[in-house]
Amino acid sequence: MSAGEADGDADADAGGGVAPDARTAGPRRSRAGTLKYVAGAVLWGWVLLRWGNDWLGGVFVPRGQAFVPPATVAGLGDAIPVLAGVANGLAFAVHYLPNLMNAMWLTVVLTVVSITLGFPLAVALAAARSYGHYTGWAALGFVELFRGTPLLAQLFVLYYGLPWLPAFFRNLPFVGEGIVPAQAVWVAVVGFTLNSAAYQGEYIRGAIDSVDPGQLEAGRAVGLSKLGSVRYVVLPQALRYAIPGWTNELVYLIKYSSLAAFITVPELLYRAQAFASETYRYTELFVLAGVLYLGLVVTASSLMGYVEGRVAIPGLGNAEGR
Amino acid sequence: MSDDPLVRVDDLHKRYGDEEVLKGISFEMDRQDVQVLVGPSGSGKSTLLRCVNRLTEFQGGEITLDGTPVTEMDVDDLRRQVGMVFQDFNLFAHLTAKENIMLGPRRVLGKTEEEAAERALDELDRVGLAAQADSYPAELSGGQKQRVGIARALAMDPKLMLFDEPTSALDPELIGEVVEVMEDLAEGGMTMLVVTHEMGFARAAATDIMFLDQGRIVEHGPPERLFENPEHERTAQFLERLTRLHGETR
Amino acid sequence: MADPVLALGALSADWRYVFGNVDYLLGGLWVTVGLTVASLLVGFVAGLPAAVVEVYGGRYSSALVRNVGVVLRGTPIVVIIMLAYFAFGISPAFLAATAALGFRSGAYQTQIFRGAIESVDGGQMEAARAVGLSKTQAVRHVVLPQALRRSVPGFQNEVTIVLKDTSIAFAIGLAELFTKSADLYQSIGHTTATFELIVFISAIYFALTFVTNRSLEALNDAVAIPGGKGR
Repeated sequence: MSAGEADGDADADAGGGVAPDARTAGPRRSRAGTLKYVAGAVLWGWVLLRWGNDWLGGVFVPRGQAFVPPATVAGLGDAIPVLAGVANGLAFAVHYLPNLMNAMWLTVVLTVVSITLGFPLAVALAAARSYGHYTGWAALGFVELFRGTPLLAQLFVLYYGLPWLPAFFRNLPFVGEGIVPAQAVWVAVVGFTLNSAAYQGEYIRGAIDSVDPGQLEAGRAVGLSKLGSVRYVVLPQALRYAIPGWTNELVYLIKYSSLAAFITVPELLYRAQAFASETYRYTELFVLAGVLYLGLVVTASSLMGYVEGRVAIPGLGNAEGR
Repeated sequence: MSDDPLVRVDDLHKRYGDEEVLKGISFEMDRQDVQVLVGPSGSGKSTLLRCVNRLTEFQGGEITLDGTPVTEMDVDDLRRQVGMVFQDFNLFAHLTAKENIMLGPRRVLGKTEEEAAERALDELDRVGLAAQADSYPAELSGGQKQRVGIARALAMDPKLMLFDEPTSALDPELIGEVVEVMEDLAEGGMTMLVVTHEMGFARAAATDIMFLDQGRIVEHGPPERLFENPEHERTAQFLERLTRLHGETR
Repeated sequence: MADPVLALGALSADWRYVFGNVDYLLGGLWVTVGLTVASLLVGFVAGLPAAVVEVYGGRYSSALVRNVGVVLRGTPIVVIIMLAYFAFGISPAFLAATAALGFRSGAYQTQIFRGAIESVDGGQMEAARAVGLSKTQAVRHVVLPQALRRSVPGFQNEVTIVLKDTSIAFAIGLAELFTKSADLYQSIGHTTATFELIVFISAIYFALTFVTNRSLEALNDAVAIPGGKGR
């Protein structure tokens, strides 16, 4: 509690001598915020246009070809010699971006599908950890196993160590045909789903534990069953508290989906690496891939920040956070 | 030189953004004076205190300590000479009572470990807490914490002590032990500028009481006059209400 | 006394292959542990000052630290490792992996320390300044000792993340535990031992994270301030 809070004094700000001046931070941040939204809108506008173009069989330009020909961009460098290096790099980017964008689509699919499938599993794990006895121990074992070993090892076990798993997916109808991805993608989804369920489960459990135990008691007191109290009273509060942790997990999964490249999933990193070994232009391609991942991460955390604001319960601070 | 007042505040103005919280405050304090500041919430009492040791900066007017404007003094040097006691104690949470008191003498005055420890034990003895020397703040009661806070300030041999509502965060039964220490200090000749609602302390120890409202001094004078014969009806009402709420703690 | 060779005989050929190569794998374990420790040190040396700058620094210095942090935290570690090795040409691979894991960890440790510094009550700084400590002294003697104690749980988490992510140095062929296990199952005639090898090294990672967690929890209790609520 700060000094002035007790009597609601104007003196509350008196620590101003040592604290950085908060007043100047406001408008600056919002200007940077506006910039971020404009950049985000431009990026995503272009990404969607790109995806739209390639899905619909190339409405604007042929599939995989840039909207602006790389030569034009390179020509810019000839016109203004000072910018030759920059233009050259840009022309390179323009040439490879359309292909990387299609790989990024797979990155997005991997992430979204895995975190979505992992979520119900995570809620079950969290509930078992908080309320179960034997199921609690089982859930603890699962969580510790997946959080205590490298994700790369998990993917390798599933793909190379258990040959029947990719074989099972390969034998399913349509797998690897048309828009249905090949078995490696399915194995990656299994790995990411299990792994992210373990992490999501821990965030949700932390949030469940942060809900006042009196809430469960009050739920029981109005006649709800234990399960009903958890479902209608505790979880609606806990899931809100879990959002910051859950956002962390989403960001984590976007970044670590890149490990699927090592089990031959042709996602963003895989493609960047493939182009890099063709052209030996490692710097440009890894920087490009890095920027695209960064764009995904920043977008995801901004979106989740917005969601958190929308579902916040008035007057209830975010108890947990992380 | 020593005939000069120890503290002179002249036409002090302080703003937070557009809001002016101190609108021209002037007063003087001689050595051994005990100046009590009272006033409603938001009247600017704590801000005034923090202007004196420059925990907050002010925009207009002047404050001098021993004839030197505080704005011309090195800020660390100023705070070496002016002790402060906080409403919510602000004891260093990771240090024992003794170490709390030793930190300033060790790091600011450059005393040796032994000197600082000896001094700390003397000060703890003075506030009646010699037995708690090795306790951490979280192991002390509120009243004990505040007495350590006072000892911490005293160990720097300050010329002036600032008290920012030292008893406001305490349970009623713990206020007495802190007020007692403050009265002993006043009796011993310490110059003190005290923001408090403790009218018992004000009657017993204050040389002057200043009533502040909305950033201005409403009335300023010795306790007898302000309690018995105030010029303003507002002063009478405010002091009467404080006495009713905070006067009879012992 | 059971003959160890006999006991091994009871296992499948693949498990015998794993246990026959324990020494080879342990060589990788030391690289893994060394890489973890080196990266955490780099991260600490970079992260603690960065956190102080982010909290107490000027407008531009703290914005710089913040933005570098966003980039390092928003880019997959495998991309950072590959950039360090292939693009920036840092070599040998151990150095590239240390730089990549270290600075990425630095960005996360900055977050941990910043949160801890901000959780120290503002009154602590004010009181330190009031007894005459300079701002630097106040940070050094009052704020950081409390903040570092509160950082232990976050740091614990960071240690296990770095430990597990050392396996990604596989991408640049660094001979740590994971790469060494891959070497073994990729040798001719032993591809069937993939499952056994990876389960075996996973158990080692698991044991390491378990031991790390218990030790840091013990450290957390040891440095707790008496009477404090802890965190």
